Amino acid sequence: MNELKKMKPVAWGIILITLAASVFFMNSMRQNARMETNLDEYMPKTHPAFVYSDQAEEWFNIKDGILIAIENKTGIYNPETLQAIKDISLGLTGFPVFDESDIMSLYTADNIVGSENGMDVKSFYERVPSSTEKLDEIRTNVRTNDMVFGRMVSEDETVALVVAGMESGTFTTELHDSIVDYVRQYENTDNRIYIAGRPIVEGTMAMLAPADMKRMVPIVIIVIGIVLFLLLKSFRATMTTLFTVFISTIWAFGLMTVTGVPVYSVSTMIPVMLIAIGVAYGIYFYNHLNRYYQEHPGTPPLPAVKYTVRILFVPLSMAAFTTIVGFLSLLSSQVYPIKYFGIFTAFGIFSAWVLALTLLPAAILIFGYRFKAKKTDVKNIGGGRAFRFISNRLLLNRWWVYGIVGVLLIISLVGIRKVWINSSFLDKFEKDSQIALTDAFVNSKFGGTSTLNVILESTQPDAFKQPENLLIIDEIQNETEKLMKVGNSFSLADYLKRMNKVMNADRDEFYSIPSDDEMVAQYLLLYEMSGDPENLLKVINYDYNRTNLTFQLKGDDSKTIDEALGVIKQYETRLNERGITLNYAGSGYKALVFSDLILQGQIKSLFISLLTVMILLIIMFRSLKAGLIGSVPILITAILSFGLMGLLNIPLSTTTALLSSIAIGIGIDYAIHFLQYYKLNLQHSRLKVTAIYRTMNQTGKAIMFNAIVVISGFLVLTLSVFPPNRALGALVSLNMFTSLLGTLTIMMILVFSYNLFVKNKGTKLNVKKQKQHSN
Amino acid sequence: MKTKTLFLMMTSLSLFAFVPHTMGQLTGSQIMEKVYNNPAGEDTQGSMTMTLTNNRGEQRIRTLSQFIKDDGATEKKIMFFITPADVKNTSFMNWSYSDGRSDDQWIYLPALKRTKRISSDGKNDYFMGSDFTYDDLGDRHPDMDDHKLLREETVEGRACYVVESTPRDGDYMYSKTVTWVMKDNFLGLKREFYDDRNTLLKTLSIQKFDKVDGFWTILETKMHNVQKDHTTVIKFTDVQKNKGIPDSRFTERSMTLGN
Repeated sequence: MNELKKMKPVAWGIILITLAASVFFMNSMRQNARMETNLDEYMPKTHPAFVYSDQAEEWFNIKDGILIAIENKTGIYNPETLQAIKDISLGLTGFPVFDESDIMSLYTADNIVGSENGMDVKSFYERVPSSTEKLDEIRTNVRTNDMVFGRMVSEDETVALVVAGMESGTFTTELHDSIVDYVRQYENTDNRIYIAGRPIVEGTMAMLAPADMKRMVPIVIIVIGIVLFLLLKSFRATMTTLFTVFISTIWAFGLMTVTGVPVYSVSTMIPVMLIAIGVAYGIYFYNHLNRYYQEHPGTPPLPAVKYTVRILFVPLSMAAFTTIVGFLSLLSSQVYPIKYFGIFTAFGIFSAWVLALTLLPAAILIFGYRFKAKKTDVKNIGGGRAFRFISNRLLLNRWWVYGIVGVLLIISLVGIRKVWINSSFLDKFEKDSQIALTDAFVNSKFGGTSTLNVILESTQPDAFKQPENLLIIDEIQNETEKLMKVGNSFSLADYLKRMNKVMNADRDEFYSIPSDDEMVAQYLLLYEMSGDPENLLKVINYDYNRTNLTFQLKGDDSKTIDEALGVIKQYETRLNERGITLNYAGSGYKALVFSDLILQGQIKSLFISLLTVMILLIIMFRSLKAGLIGSVPILITAILSFGLMGLLNIPLSTTTALLSSIAIGIGIDYAIHFLQYYKLNLQHSRLKVTAIYRTMNQTGKAIMFNAIVVISGFLVLTLSVFPPNRALGALVSLNMFTSLLGTLTIMMILVFSYNLFVKNKGTKLNVKKQKQHSN
Repeated sequence: MKTKTLFLMMTSLSLFAFVPHTMGQLTGSQIMEKVYNNPAGEDTQGSMTMTLTNNRGEQRIRTLSQFIKDDGATEKKIMFFITPADVKNTSFMNWSYSDGRSDDQWIYLPALKRTKRISSDGKNDYFMGSDFTYDDLGDRHPDMDDHKLLREETVEGRACYVVESTPRDGDYMYSKTVTWVMKDNFLGLKREFYDDRNTLLKTLSIQKFDKVDGFWTILETKMHNVQKDHTTVIKFTDVQKNKGIPDSRFTERSMTLGN
């Protein structure tokens, strides 16, 4: 009792320090928390593909377009719709982010037309006409102008497009809202307005993902709390466990704001990790505490706490340490948000570890702990016998277990080969969500809402005045446009074909690349003088040796982009032979490279962490066998997880790729706890199999509790409205389940069969004997 | 919008004849009127070098020879490209009429071996991809703006009037311009152009001017688009005035013959 009195101030001290630190971090979060929604900030700035793309975007003023589609089912050639096109085109220039040259529409477009002896450069309209003849004239002009027909006006003439180019990184929620509000005022019964385009998708996603997390995480915590309470049978224990999880999350995010690192969308995964891991620490703690009370009913809190801390310290530290190392392996990623994710999750786990060994004991010393007597003990409901039974069956049927695992692994390895990465933003939305529907609508009427830029460069000035090179460009465009998902394309060749036609009295047979260099040069000069020279700057540089081809794609997913790249790359040798290099640019391409980087990084860090975790296990248990056997559950979990993704056609994305970290982080904890207690039990058991029974009954139960709690919590995420979060919930649950099974079945069997930690051969007894014995 | 002309270049060349300093304070409008009405002679010929420089320092250099003749009713201009080589002998002709009729324009592309008439009401107001609009080159009549004399000040050692001009048409591409007009010759020395958001868009500065055959003539002028960091420098060389260019110089046939 005296000792308890001495310890009480220490306990209070721990609680106060914890609270003080939390207040400090919360304060810092309130003042400095900054959400990073600009996706460009996620890209590694020094990677050659990004450096090149950024440069090309600057050269050619490549921007992501906000697409405003105005639909009038009876046709757009009526005064009201034309007025709306004009007003929106003009009105958008009122937004500081748009320059006049950023806006493209039927209203802003020049109509260059040829006649027998001349050339006219006109707008399609200035003042909105009301007479039928004038409206018909516009219609005719549009139909005969390939630069506009199908690009600014849909081929069925019911939809017109206003494109507002936007520099990446300038998009904000406020801007999104004000543009939507502005444009919506032109909507009425006749004219429907659709807003699409990458900035809108990115912007919506940047808002939706964290918003959904914010909504779902509390529900996850409540569900976990309820299940935790059902298992721990203690309100205090449940609350304290949740509290430590909460505090470790605060600390992780607090440190983030203290160090001035913004919150990236990947960072929303940190609480997810910390909940899964922090809850586990709490369960282990209370499990051991309960065990002590079971064996020593009625003891005061101090010895119970002391026992628990003592027995938990080594395995918990080992578990925490390996998990931290696992997350720190993410530092090998080239992507900063993922590096940060690794660092701050590691710090959060460190916090959870510290709290489990300080705050949890302190709370018991101060607030007490009421251990529910045996009547509620799971063991008495048959748990103990159940575990013994299961262990027996498993050990006896080990070859079945090996076989099943083997088959699962083979199936998974087949699945892994089907895993694909998806850099698509659109695919993150429900197929029937507003944003996906709008995108599909605009895609059905126009070339495509996504773009891919192909940049050709030659060291020789005037290279792209040469008809031979222009013909290749034209061919690339034609071949690529044959793909289903490539709507249309645009390049210098289109201008020249148009000019050639115009200068030859608008005769269709002249819609081709002019046959000599001088003709090309003169057409370009003419266009520059009579058309809009800014348009030319978007396709060709001053020295005519660098040119930009734009492809409109009907999807932003990796498959669509890769398909287009596949066709374009076929021309690489031909271009190289002519001294022309081929490169790519634009946000879609960057996203593709980016997701490749993430995947490579993930695979690399997966191997690094598997290897380091294995080495750590070997060192910690001073046994090579322990390292190998202990890694089995995480290996299985990782392979099954990726395999299932492949089989179920769940693409890897920034979120799902991070799941391997959970698999390792949590899987290794299960293994360590199991191994550590098995090692201890072995010292106190005469028979190997008794040690197994004991470990299964104690640790196995703790691990199972753990899995049940976390799985039930994460299954809640499968009800999320945001598909990636749903996949996350399902996969975390699956990973937990696999880790659980892997540890309690195959690892247990391996531990037993390969005589792990068995020093004295004399204690070795085989199951058959044991079976006879128990019979 | 009124018809644009391709060849109003020379108006700016010859904006300015010496006008003796009138006693008493001039109003902003009077000053701009004098600038506009500076006599330029009946005909002008010479070479022109246009250098476009973008924000990366890349340049496009074009040289042309040009001829201008104004009989009071019709102003005729013809221009021939000399370099770059692949557009050599490309020519442009413009006739503008003082009675307000739309300009007539022709182009001749040697590769096509055909002369074509151009009519344009497109939205491109810029002259040959440069930073100058046709209006900047002197085509804009002072009646289209309201002028206000802001102050008088000395710039680069020259006494100037500083006049602010605000367009009467609210839709005009500039919200205002501010011009420094030299007191002694009514030549604009520099001008600032403000865009529709009232921020500085471009600055025009006269680098070199002289009296040529008795007429004040700008010989080098530079326009800097500060927002895009794009610059156009136009230099005039071998300028000659009133050399009696024949009317036959300004025909479609003449365009095909080259310089």
